[in-house]
Amino acid sequence: MDDLLVDFIAETRETLETLTGEIVAWEASPGDRTRLDAIFRFVHTVKGSCGFLDLPRLEKLSHAAEDVLADCRADRRQPDGQLVSAVLAIIDRIAELTNALESGDGIPDHDDAALIAALAPGGGNQGQREAEAAPATLVQTSSPARGMSRSIRLPVDLLDRMMAGVSDMVLARNDLSRRLRESGVDPAIDAAFERLSVCIAEMRDSITRTRMARIDNLFSALPRMVRDLASELSKQVSLEIDGGDVELDREMIEMIRDPLTHIVRNAIDHGIEPAADRIAAGKPASGRLRVSARQAGNQIAIEVVDDGRGIDADRLVEKAIANGALALEKAAAMSVQAKLNLIFLPGVSTAKQVTSISGRGVGMDVVRANVERIGGTVDIDSRPGHGLRLTVRVPLTLTIIPALTISAGGQQFAIPRSAIEELVRVGPSARLSDLGGAKIVNIRGRRLPVVLLAPFLKLSPERDERELTMVVVKPAGGDHYALAVEEVHDHEELVVRPAAPALMACGVYAGTTLPDNSHPMLLLDPAGIASIAGIVGDLDDVEDNEQAEVLATERVQSLLFRDLDGVERAIPLALVERIEEVPSRFASFSAGRMRLSQEERIVPLMSCCALPHVDTYRVLRMTDGNAGIAYAIAEIVDILSMDVICERAIEPGLIAGVALVDGRPVEIVDSFWLFAEARKEGFRPEQEPVCLLAAGDDPWARQVLTPLLRSGGYRVIFPDSENASQADIVVHCDGDAGQTANGAEGTPVIRLTTDPDPAEPDLVYRYDRARLLDAMRAGIRHRGRG
Amino acid sequence: MNNLYLIVTIAGNRVAIPATSVESVVEIDRIDPVPLVADHVAGLFALRSRVMTVIDSCASVGLGRFVWDGSAEAVIVNCEGHGYAILVENVDDVVEVNTPVAASRAVLSAGWARVSVGTIEVHDEALLVVDPVRLIERPFVVIAA
Repeated sequence: MDDLLVDFIAETRETLETLTGEIVAWEASPGDRTRLDAIFRFVHTVKGSCGFLDLPRLEKLSHAAEDVLADCRADRRQPDGQLVSAVLAIIDRIAELTNALESGDGIPDHDDAALIAALAPGGGNQGQREAEAAPATLVQTSSPARGMSRSIRLPVDLLDRMMAGVSDMVLARNDLSRRLRESGVDPAIDAAFERLSVCIAEMRDSITRTRMARIDNLFSALPRMVRDLASELSKQVSLEIDGGDVELDREMIEMIRDPLTHIVRNAIDHGIEPAADRIAAGKPASGRLRVSARQAGNQIAIEVVDDGRGIDADRLVEKAIANGALALEKAAAMSVQAKLNLIFLPGVSTAKQVTSISGRGVGMDVVRANVERIGGTVDIDSRPGHGLRLTVRVPLTLTIIPALTISAGGQQFAIPRSAIEELVRVGPSARLSDLGGAKIVNIRGRRLPVVLLAPFLKLSPERDERELTMVVVKPAGGDHYALAVEEVHDHEELVVRPAAPALMACGVYAGTTLPDNSHPMLLLDPAGIASIAGIVGDLDDVEDNEQAEVLATERVQSLLFRDLDGVERAIPLALVERIEEVPSRFASFSAGRMRLSQEERIVPLMSCCALPHVDTYRVLRMTDGNAGIAYAIAEIVDILSMDVICERAIEPGLIAGVALVDGRPVEIVDSFWLFAEARKEGFRPEQEPVCLLAAGDDPWARQVLTPLLRSGGYRVIFPDSENASQADIVVHCDGDAGQTANGAEGTPVIRLTTDPDPAEPDLVYRYDRARLLDAMRAGIRHRGRG
Repeated sequence: MNNLYLIVTIAGNRVAIPATSVESVVEIDRIDPVPLVADHVAGLFALRSRVMTVIDSCASVGLGRFVWDGSAEAVIVNCEGHGYAILVENVDDVVEVNTPVAASRAVLSAGWARVSVGTIEVHDEALLVVDPVRLIERPFVVIAA
């Protein structure tokens, strides 16, 4: 009983969190059935569980709400502001009672009857009062309405143990794999081992994902909070939420819940002005609040932007001087940004009066302390009179990030892919030169500061400067620079964990990872390297940078590779999901083309020429969003951004055209053609005509005729199929035996006979392939016309 | 259970580490170096799937560098969610000591004073009790006056 109750409480609370957003959205568009359904399901579930757990009060409340919602669903009643408020009040009470159940306190003795009465048309007083304040909020969520999802709760340390266990398993597998290779075992053992490997890889993937959750879990409470605050303060606020699908460590989500709540409260309380003030200032009456999340490198950036009054930096300075936090002479020398940062000092607030929402002191110092405790940062950007932007950046504690592995000074490192803009080898298109003791590189007319990675890390360089590769990086919130590395290895998806504090203190590492070779590798932090190397963004350059970025968008990030025939080719990087080494025995010629079977899926394996006889192929795994293909290549050469303009090929084929890279021609692979070609065979569109094969229990029909019809492009069904009435054409195997058509009326019928010389003109001899297919085509055409 | 100690040798000195803070003792045969890091961090080591930060105990107590000859024994400890492998010259024994830890009366060098919490008596021999967490922490930078 106890366990059941605990589960009930946890489940109810979880659903409540996701539900509040739904209710407010429902209020904004009462006609939205999916949201209504979601709310209905919730109260219905609560009611069911309450009956089971013997909680009569909760049951009565949920039952009343369920009745009203059922009326709305059946269109017996139109939802209005009053009804929504009444339902909200009930849901709030359910939350209160649930909390009381958990804490074991006496259940607060409220008058539930009033709440239930408010549900009735015309409502009680309370409902009336809330209804007046209600329509202040308008919510736009970019996420679709959610249904209830099935879930269970697990202790975090159990998950961690599972993760450690599966990682150990991967390493044991690698060890075993090496030993198997060395001892040259029986192919049967090899195949079984390969199956095991696939299972382990899948398991590792899914267990890693169990730690992650969508940031939606955090955002779903915002619409309700914004609505309530706005109505309490009589302000109009429209909330936009974006990026709810960004994934974050579950623990981290809990850690930023409070700081985010605080920031949003501040924005509504102190940022957004009352409607009258806004109109006087020439702004729309309704304030805008935008909360968004995105992944930027090894961080998640959560932005809260409002279009309110912003923060007056000089007033902050006055305050700080007044309460002794800042010396007068210091203030004069401060930049605007430094002045704004004063808001993070304890006791500095811009609020003119204390309010019940955020109180005095705003608590931005607490917000920052909380965020910094988990290794994050808070940035502030204010435009007085126009709005405020607060950016909370938190590190990805545990994550899988795509990274490029490189080496410098004989040691391997990883660089997050998200920070990398392009790779350029030192040469005609990337000239390295000295500028006052510092290195700079000129890449197609763009000069960038250079950090030579090996000397920077105090490692002895193993390559001459002319043999280096420039990794052009743009750290989140920083400026471009080039990281000179000795060798570029591969793209990998790495499971990154935070490094020990002693390592993080260096400021150049973002975490550690353990590649399959079981030698730990460090993930570099491009932003940290930039700040230690002294590369700083010049604010005066901002416009130039923006222009450069506009130009850069006209170029396409491309992967340059050497194809199997030795020719250098390029393909847009965005299409390439990953680069893999696959054992050649996974590739086989079946059903008319080369196919690669892996992870229990089969994808077409394309190549420019016959596959060589080697043990492993290097393949580019590509996807067009629906289907994947693999393209075998010899080796990766480079990643670069490339002009889209190129010489077009004369006729469609593998090559779309030719572009110049470093003065040499590079063929651009026509990805459109590639996907089209991969679909050509083995793909049956849904619209293929359906042929009902009457007398389908006849073995001849099943074994001999069916394959013929299928190869002719028909989908063959039998009379016992439930779609029998949808057939486009009916074929009778023993046409002589009379008409027993199962198809719908008017469906053309073809009758087959065993007589080589049919007695009737409309009978078709069953081995006359040409005539049979002709007759079928004619029948379909005829039907199309009729 | 609380009075078990692991006796190890650090920088030529036999010292005791409270067994409760020790996860295991392993043999390390490879250390991947970490550039730019403080002296007492020898590098990284993969203990199965966990990445351990390897601590040079000699550097921690300010007595030079650990002599690495291709393999060494290490004491695995966990501190604030991170795993550490503390290199030791020798792992001697696990002993049970029922007398409480006494304050050291000898005048210790600065390095030992920083990492030790007192002494215990083992078979008529006084041993320093070393707190592994202090070995992990960055040693003070001693500025010559």
